[in-house]
Parts: sequence; structure tokens; C-alpha cells
Amino acid sequence: MAELYVKPGNKERGWNDPPQFSYGLQTLAGGPKRTQLTKRVAAPQDGSPRVPTSQTSPGPPPVGPPPVGPPPPSNKASRPPPAGSCPASSVEPTNYPVIESETLLEDVLKPLEEALEDCRGHTKKQVCDDISRRLALLREQWAGGKLSVPVKKRMALLVQELSSHQWDAADDIHRSLMVDHVTEVSQWMVGVKRLIAEKRNLSSEEESNEEKSTATAEENQTVPGVQEAP
Amino acid sequence: MATYLEFIQQNEERDGVRFSWNVWPSSRLEATRMVVPLACLLTPLKERPDLPPVQYEPVLCSRTTCKAILNPLCQVDYRAKLWACNFCFQRNQFPPAYTGISEVNQPAELMPQFSTIEYVIQRGAQSPLIFLYVVDTCLEEDDLQALKESLQMSLSLLPPDALVGLITFGRMVQVHELSCEGISKSYVFRGTKDLTAKQIQDMLGLTKPAMPMQQARPGQPQEQPFVSGRFLQPIHKIDMNLTDLLGELQRDPWPVTQGKRPLRSTGVALSIAVGLLEGTFPNTGARIMLFTGGPPTQGPGMVVGDELKVPIRSWHDIEKDNARFMKKATKHYEMLANRTATNGHCIDIYACALDQTGLLEMKCCANLTGGHMVMGDSFNTSLFKQTFQRIFSKDFNGDFRMAFGATLEVKTSRELKVAGAIGPCVSLNVKGPCVSENELGVGGTSQWKICGLDPTSTLGIYFEVVNQHNAPVPQGGRGAIQFVTQYQHSSTQRRIRVTTIARNWADAQSQLRHIEAAFDQEAAAVLMARLGVFRAESEEGPDVLRWLDRQLIRLCQKFGQYNKEDPTSFRLSDSFSLYPQFMFHLRRSPFLQVFNNSPDESSYYRHHFARQDLTQSLIMIQPILYSYSFQGPPEPVLLDSSSILADRILLMDTFFQIVIYLGETIAQWRKAGYQDMPEYENFKHLLQAPLDDAQEILQARFPMPRYINTEHGGSQARFLLSKVNPSQTHNNLYAWGQETGAPILTDDVSLQVFMDHLKKLAVSSAC
Repeated sequence: MAELYVKPGNKERGWNDPPQFSYGLQTLAGGPKRTQLTKRVAAPQDGSPRVPTSQTSPGPPPVGPPPVGPPPPSNKASRPPPAGSCPASSVEPTNYPVIESETLLEDVLKPLEEALEDCRGHTKKQVCDDISRRLALLREQWAGGKLSVPVKKRMALLVQELSSHQWDAADDIHRSLMVDHVTEVSQWMVGVKRLIAEKRNLSSEEESNEEKSTATAEENQTVPGVQEAP
Repeated sequence: MATYLEFIQQNEERDGVRFSWNVWPSSRLEATRMVVPLACLLTPLKERPDLPPVQYEPVLCSRTTCKAILNPLCQVDYRAKLWACNFCFQRNQFPPAYTGISEVNQPAELMPQFSTIEYVIQRGAQSPLIFLYVVDTCLEEDDLQALKESLQMSLSLLPPDALVGLITFGRMVQVHELSCEGISKSYVFRGTKDLTAKQIQDMLGLTKPAMPMQQARPGQPQEQPFVSGRFLQPIHKIDMNLTDLLGELQRDPWPVTQGKRPLRSTGVALSIAVGLLEGTFPNTGARIMLFTGGPPTQGPGMVVGDELKVPIRSWHDIEKDNARFMKKATKHYEMLANRTATNGHCIDIYACALDQTGLLEMKCCANLTGGHMVMGDSFNTSLFKQTFQRIFSKDFNGDFRMAFGATLEVKTSRELKVAGAIGPCVSLNVKGPCVSENELGVGGTSQWKICGLDPTSTLGIYFEVVNQHNAPVPQGGRGAIQFVTQYQHSSTQRRIRVTTIARNWADAQSQLRHIEAAFDQEAAAVLMARLGVFRAESEEGPDVLRWLDRQLIRLCQKFGQYNKEDPTSFRLSDSFSLYPQFMFHLRRSPFLQVFNNSPDESSYYRHHFARQDLTQSLIMIQPILYSYSFQGPPEPVLLDSSSILADRILLMDTFFQIVIYLGETIAQWRKAGYQDMPEYENFKHLLQAPLDDAQEILQARFPMPRYINTEHGGSQARFLLSKVNPSQTHNNLYAWGQETGAPILTDDVSLQVFMDHLKKLAVSSAC
């Protein structure tokens, strides 16, 4: 569900900067752990190294290409597996499936605005206004073409989860967007985050209210019965 | 032999302990002759997915000087409902809740598989976790922007009910009020004047809790009962405003003229952070997170002046006693660190700059409180960003991998005493019958405080056998140790983890073989290394090396098999065979050698060495080297220059760096583009295999290591060349008469020469 990709580190600013893993890869804990690369070879007790022999003939010191023969072609040598046991994961960013249809701004924004309307009256006006301001910012940036395709797609997913009351899933998508695309989303995403939280509160309130009202309804039903039996 | 290895591994997985010796010499005299002390590496909160905590409180021994916790080693009289403490032999009545127990109906803590058990304490108010950001604004635009984004991002990762606060600093220090509405206010402090905790609390208005409460209009609910509410607020209430506040942060507005450093008041900013939490939330889990992009340049805790022409202190300056500000600054940060530890809070330092930032002076803040120390080049690097994200990683239960305010208590059976601990802790100065008079590490106590810890935090605990030689322990007797860790879980629950272990005693004269076979050389190497690094913090480097050498020679004399004065006859048994090479690599490591490292780098390396678990520590001592070639699956190879061959790819893990090195032929093949030809697909796979394995390491490591992708002849190949044993150098290359491997241009001693000397000294009757 989450994006799985690795992008190179910032070599300009950081010396030997490590690659950056997406939120999806970072939280992909569990799973079959590969054998850890923690084995050591004991040096012989006299401290001298075993003398390993190079298999390809070293030949004369290399001056200019081609220095040595080609590597063994695929059919001759079997493919060396990585030391671990699980299959190699791709290093390239996952390619997004060709977008059949552009995610539409209204498809994302409208449910968000509706959710906000639901909250009005239950949530402090100030908070609602704040959220509204951020949704406007989202609209502006989206319309201005400032948002990338992955952000738009994930926002569409987030809205789907929100609409089907999958609060944790929606929250997790919000988190993945903050981690993977913070520069694009940081200004308005907090409004979406708050909206998820407020909507979740509202629905749990409603649920408990419903429970209460069904409870009182039941009471009401029994009361006449009690009255009838003197 | 395999059985001992299995036993050691099983114990580590179940109890989070690795002992140097797994059969114990039964008298004080014999124990000192073993050279390596009886000690263990303890990972108090080791992750145990298979161990759900029990929802009741532990049963304590009723003797007031003991108070050991009921455990599987206790003898139980099920009919009389009595249990005998295995530490002090006191007979105790079971509490009323245990009336139903019998041989077939035992509580978990009596079952042998629960030698480690965790209790959830239901008592006491639970308070939310606290995160106080202390942010340097004397940064370059690019860095500040990246940092702001990381901080905004972190608001999404924190628990929603956590309290957050924000202090920013440059020339001045600003404590920001966080409120849901209106304009944001802040309190501004001068960065040159140190303030006492009382003054800070007065100035922030924290000392008059009654006033604002009374002034509040009736009918308006008091949502925040704490006066600190203005500075520390639950994230879910102020996330939008704090996001804006962070977004609007500007670089420090004070002009910095040419040839000057910006004025940075780190010392006062930290002091205010410590004072703020001290006054409002003592003894509650809290992290002060300091983000800084350069050295403190004014006020208390300044490390260097603002004149750029005067460089920050180097090891050379320190040796020449020419580091003007070092002592005073160190004192300031030590005072803060000790106060923080007393309050039960921890301090993280995230220092990102190309030059030094004063980690040497500030290190105690992280070291004494169990905080993190992260060193990078810029906040706009994946090294910083991902390391920072990982602070907020979660375990298999969805709980944050962080714990707070832990107290570790060690109880021993009578033949043993505890001599000290080395790790991210401070002494609680609790004397008692099981405290040794001899100190190893931080001693003189049976309890330590670890203010911040995670599931990998590991302490070295050192013991002393006190049993007298003429009062031997009965045959078949066992010694026992109990570790009791009380802590605040990230869910804010109070919990107690109890680990009780026992090992056999053996008479060193008649049963030396048993003791020898139960030696854990990996644990011993790390435990000795911790002692060495602990000494190196206060002693001169050469003295520490000499001490380590002497210990190694004595160990070889005691456990080697040899004929006197005949070095060629020298042999070590399997359980000792790796130990000398660990010591060889340790001597060359940045933990003991400061050459080529800045004082900040040394502090950084030592910080991590003193808290990682055995596996990671051992990687730091002797890096791991794997070889990838067409000759078979990847395999570990000797960390030796002879392993550097033309037709291999090497993957080296030094903990702080991951290095991928293409041998000469491989590099040429790659240059020729064979990997892109379909008929040489296997070459493409060969190139990919170490990358995939490296990725696997990178994903699990904290902090993020540097990642070096290099090849034969590349300038960065030096990272590999400086770590391998220089068995072939420019001095002996021709003597070897072969062209395999890569000669290293060094005058350093090789493992072979080291071993030759060691053997000579070990078999000599002179020493």
C-alpha cells in the first residue's frame, strides 16, 4: 500500500550520505529477517593470513582496456545470491502504474470539506477555521500544479480511508506523506491530520450517543410494561 | 562446544545477558587469576515478542536489606505456602492472592522459562511523555529549512497526547508559549548570563501555580492544570499552531560580520530547557532534544570564541593544555547533565555541521542521561533525517521503542558483589551488602539510573567474587544474580522487568577446563573494551593500551598451552582463539586511538560504543568483511589485506560506515559495461548482491551509517585499507613473493607481528 522506494542521499551536503528509505520500507518491520551478516573468520593462530588464490588470471599489470577477459557469461556461472535468504528488493523507485486518470482535485477536496462541515458545531470554531485555511492552501497548491503525482494519488487514498471511517489507515497515510514528501505537504497536511482526529472523535461520540439513545429507547419500552403491571 | 555456544545464545535471547564467564571460579583469589573479570553485558529491555507482561505486582522478600523478587530459583513449600529467598535464605509467607498455588498451579514467576519476567504496575498517576525541542537558528538557510521540515514531520510521528515545547536560540534564547489561539508569544533571555533553576522558573512564571488558576474565569474549564501549560502542550491541541510556528522560524537576525562565528547561546538554552522541566515535570519521562549546527560561542558553556581565525580545540591543543574554554564548558554541561539525571529526564544532541560543534564538552549530557548523540554534516542529509525518524520507530506491539526514568538494581548471592557498571547511566549511590569496595566503572552502588533507554541499550556490569579461598563453595553450588529494572514504558505505564540468572561455581584448580570451556570471548572482548574506553576518558591513551596489552599477555599465560620459552609451541583453545585478534583491532580502533579523529569524533564514537549490544559493539571493534564473487555464495573473509582481490566485491560494516569495494577486475568489467549486456546478466546480479545486503544493514542500523561505494584505486578505498590487517605492506611485499592481496602503505604493526610478540611474551618466564 505504502510507497516502497530508496532514493540516493544528499551527496552535496553530506559526505557519503546514505540512501533514503521511504516510510513504507522503514515501517516494513517483521517479515522474514535475512541471516545477519555478522560472521567472522578466525585468523590462524600464527596470525598469518591464509593465502587465497585469485581465480581469474591476473595477467600483466593492467595498462589500458581491455585488461582482462570478460566476466563469465550468465549460462556458465550460476547467479550468486545475496548473503541473506530473502529475495533482493528493488533499489529503483517503484514505478507508478501508468495513471489512467489524473486524480481530480475535487475528488479529494470535497470529501475533506464535507468532513469539516460535519465537525462544525462539535469542534471549536477556531480549530475549524484553521483546518479550513489549510484546506484552502491545499486547493491553491494543487490547482497551481505544485503537487506531485504520488502526493495526489496518496491523498486520494487517504480520503477513501477517511470516508470509510478507517481512521488508523488514514492516519498512517498522512504519516507516510509527512515522512516521504514533507516539503510538499508540511504546510497543509497538519490540517488534514487534525481533521482525521476530529472526525474520529466525532464518530466515537456519535457511537456512544447512539448507544445511549438505544439504551434510553429500551428503557422507554420497558417503562410502560412496568406501569401496566401494578 | 556447540552446546556452550547454544547456551550463550539462548541466554542472550531470553534474558538479554552475556557473561564473560559462564562457569564461575569459586574464590576471590582464583577469580583475579582469570584476568578477565566476571562481568556481563545486560540489555535490560531487550525486545521479547514472546513475553507479554503480567498484570500484577512482584512479590518481594520480606527482609528489608534484601527485597529480592520471587523467582524460579526460590525454593517453595507449597503446603505451608512459604518460599525461601535464594539470595538471603529468608523464609517468606506468600501473599493472600497466592493461596491457590500448588505444584501444578504455579504463578509465572516460578516457572523456569520465566527467568525474565515483566510486571505492569497499576499504581500511580500516568503522565504523558514530554518532548522539548531546543533549536539552534544560527544555521544556513538550506539547513534550517530541512530542520524545520524534520521537526514538523516529527509532530506526525509523536504520540498524539505527548506534550511538546519549543525553545529556539541564537544570540538570544526564546522560550515559546504554545497556545491554540491568538498571537504566539515568547520569553526572551540573554544568552550570556547563566540563570539558576529558580530564576528561570520565576522569569517564566512557573513558581506561582495558584495565581493563574484563581484568575481563570469561572465556567471556563481548566483544561491544563499545569502552569507549564503555556510552554508544554499536548500535540493534538497545538499541532497546527506549532507547525506554523516552526514554519515561520527565521535564521538568527543578528548580523554576523566577516571573520566571525555567529553568537550561539547553547549553554544558556540548555540550562533553560533543563530548568523548565525541572520545575514542572520532575521524575516524568521527558526528552530534551537539542538541534545544533555549530559550537557554543558565548555565555556559559562556550567552547570557542567568535573569531574565526581561532580554530576550535584539537587533540593537539588539549594535550598541550591549550584548550581555553574546555574545562569550564565541560563543567557547565556536567552540572546540567547531573541535574537532568536527577530529574529523570534525558538530553539528545543532534549536531550537524562540517566543523566540530563541541560534542566533547557536551557529551555528558547524552552519556549520563541515556540520550542520543547524532553527528552529521548537515540537517539536509538523509543521514540526519532518517536517524531522526528512527527515534520514533515502533516495536511489534506498535509501542515506541523508548523508555524513561529507569532504575536498575543488581542483587547478588553472598559469594559475589557488584563492582560497577559502564553504560548510559549514573550512580544512585545506594550502598548495601552486595556492593564491592573495589570499583570497576561507575561503582560503589547497587543501583543505577538510566533516564532514557531503548530495547538495545546495553550496560556492562562488573562483579567481584568475594568467597575466600579457604571457604570453598560446595560442589554443585550455584551463584545467582537478579537484575531489577523499573521503568516508564512508552505507553506511560510503570513496569518492572526482572531477570534472575544462576551459574555453576567451579574450583579453578581442579576444574579449570570447565571454566575455560565456558569462556565467552566475544562478551569478554566487549567488556574489556568498555573498561579500556572508560579509562581512556580519564587517562592518557598509551597507558590504556599498555594496560590492555598486559591483560592480554596475562590471559595468554594463564590459558595458553605452551612450553616455557618456546613461542612456536603456543596454542589457545577454541574458546579463546578469537580474543587476541579482537584486542588487536581494538587497539587500532577510534575508541582508543585519537589520531585522525577530532575530539568531537572521538566523543561520538565512544558514546555509541558504551551503549550498543554485544553484536553491534563487536562490529565496532572488529568490522565485518564479506566477499562476493563468481566462486560461490557470499562468504565472510578475513579482515586482512590479503582478502582484497581483483575478482571480488567486498562489503565492510564498521557500524559507522558501510563500505562497498569493487576489486580491480570487477571495476574494469563494470566500466566496460558488461552488466548491461544480457549475456552477462549474472555480472549484473553480482554487482547488485552487496548493494542489497548493505541496504538490509542500513535499514536496521541506528544511527544511520555513512555509505561508501568505491573501487580499487578510488580515494575512498582508504576506509577499507585503514581497517584491514596490514599483513602486506610496502615493507614486506616482496618478501611475500606473491601478488595476491593489496599491500597497505603503513608502518602499523600487523596481526602476525602482534601475535609473534604476544607469544614470545606469553611463554617467557620473565614476566
